[in-house]
Amino acid sequence: MVIMGEEMATVAPESSSNLSASATSEGVSEASAGISSALQAFGIDSSTIVHVILVLVLAYVSTRIVAFLLTRFSERFHWLRLGIKMEIPLAKLAIYGFAVYHILGSIFQLSTNQLIALSGLVGAAVGFGLKDLVAEIVGGIVLVLDKPYQIGDKVRIDGHYGEVTDIGLRATRLVSPDDSLIVVSNQRMITQVLANATAGSLEMQVVIDLFIDSSSDASRAMKILRDAAVTSRYVYISSKRPVTIFLKDYPFYKRVRARVYVNDLRYEFKFESDVTKRAWDAFLEAGIEPPKAMVMDPVSTSPAA
Amino acid sequence: MLPFFEEEMKRIEESIEDYRGGIRRNVAIISDPYYGEADLMARAASVAGPDGLRIDGRRLRHDFGILERAPQRIVVVDEAHRLSLRKVGGFDLMDRFLRFVTSEERLFITTWNSFSWRYLEEVLGIGRHFPRQIILPRLDAGQIREMLLAGREEGELTFVEEEAPGGDSKVLDWRVSRRAVMGHNIDLPYPSVDPGVIRSRLKRNRKEKKSGEDAFFERLAQISDGNPGVAEHLWKEALNYPEVRSSLRDPPTIDLDFDESFVLGVVLSSGSLELDELSEVLGPMDLSAETMAALLEEKGLVSIDGGVVTLRAEALKSDIEHERRLRLVW
Repeated sequence: MVIMGEEMATVAPESSSNLSASATSEGVSEASAGISSALQAFGIDSSTIVHVILVLVLAYVSTRIVAFLLTRFSERFHWLRLGIKMEIPLAKLAIYGFAVYHILGSIFQLSTNQLIALSGLVGAAVGFGLKDLVAEIVGGIVLVLDKPYQIGDKVRIDGHYGEVTDIGLRATRLVSPDDSLIVVSNQRMITQVLANATAGSLEMQVVIDLFIDSSSDASRAMKILRDAAVTSRYVYISSKRPVTIFLKDYPFYKRVRARVYVNDLRYEFKFESDVTKRAWDAFLEAGIEPPKAMVMDPVSTSPAA
Repeated sequence: MLPFFEEEMKRIEESIEDYRGGIRRNVAIISDPYYGEADLMARAASVAGPDGLRIDGRRLRHDFGILERAPQRIVVVDEAHRLSLRKVGGFDLMDRFLRFVTSEERLFITTWNSFSWRYLEEVLGIGRHFPRQIILPRLDAGQIREMLLAGREEGELTFVEEEAPGGDSKVLDWRVSRRAVMGHNIDLPYPSVDPGVIRSRLKRNRKEKKSGEDAFFERLAQISDGNPGVAEHLWKEALNYPEVRSSLRDPPTIDLDFDESFVLGVVLSSGSLELDELSEVLGPMDLSAETMAALLEEKGLVSIDGGVVTLRAEALKSDIEHERRLRLVW
């Protein structure tokens, strides 16, 4: 009995799993039959699906090739770099738009009624599951047309700062100063407050702050910082892009600030480093001292310390 | 002496006459390297006569007191841009010179490298100290022909047609780009069009319709960018008396990294520079003047002679295009 019971016990789950498996396979086959009958109602067979996939793959490969060629081209003509890169998202949109048009028009050959039915289907899909994806794609189209920023611009959004390297249909990619890739959905890019430091220009304003001891000669420090900025190999100066030096007096130290333009935004940090290094070399030579350590150290200057 | 720039010379003479009549308008003559502005200055000094002093910027750099001690009322300063160096504190002498120019009652006639002028205009606003600015114009093919054939009989020289070097260059070539695909580096070939070859072929096709001599001088004007000094240099290379070879080489293609480009820009903004001066500029940037100059010399862009780094005339046009593209000169 025990043995029988064991046999029964072992057999029973098997039979139940067989039952559920057969039920699942029936369900799948019913569903696939339903889908295939629905597809047939639209006149879609397996070769059409393969054709659609091929068109999409071709569109993807084309966008990659166009983006690669335009990037190469833009690097060759340095002064047109940002202008050419601006066209990459537009080219991608055009290629994907053409692919979708081709799929709907030439492959599916949809009638008006079918188009209405399809749009209803798409509306339902968007309403239930794909609304985020669609919002991102719509965001991408808005970005391409509105151009609040372009490839090559330096932007700050959501606390992230970096150079825009790609504007895709779904997301925008930034590379941060420490070389991290930041992917921000296009929906966020259009709904959040965005700071664009360059707005399509190759040059970019850089603010360089140096802090000196209160007793140091501030006029001399301003002159040195100005010299260091205008003699940098990375500087860009014009009547619209002047070099400006500011001085601010704090209780225990002074801040000397340079507002100056770098000739190519890719050199932003090299520029800052070059000016800071040469200015400090000259400061020390001229007897201009940094603030005392206890003044600048918040721990040592706190009341508790 | 160049038979050109007569219009510019007239304006200099007018300035001297005006000054003698009580109106002082300091003069700045602005040109790219090799324009031959020294000839104009020699003529200006001779017009000034005993009332004039001629001195060059390099000498003033070492002894500014000469200017302060000199009694002459008309001061002709060659290469005034040499009074500044692109380094911290490098404008002090230029500031002193500009204060001197403004406060004195003397007339100053000066020459400036055009790239230095534009840079110093942005940095120091030097233009306001020199109300009369004369920019030497580029010469066209006819003027270059007149300049180079001056004193020669008609038909004395034979222009020999030769195939320009680099004629077998391809318009379309394949290059390879290494891309990371799914963790593997893959070399992807891509087509590359060489615009230089297209330009060169188009020019060659147009040239066929003209006589050898016309085509030669048009090409010379184009390669030299209308710069008389460069045109003369290229002419000497092409001339093998009584024959003139038509195969003028294109200016070299420049392939430099950013630091090398900056050094080339420093030399371009001066025309020539002593290695010591270059060290003063590059030292604080942790760059070696000797190494950088040697690299530029190896690439055929400058020559180093007696511790002086000088731009090579035949590379001048490429240098300027390259530096402008990187916005290292304006």
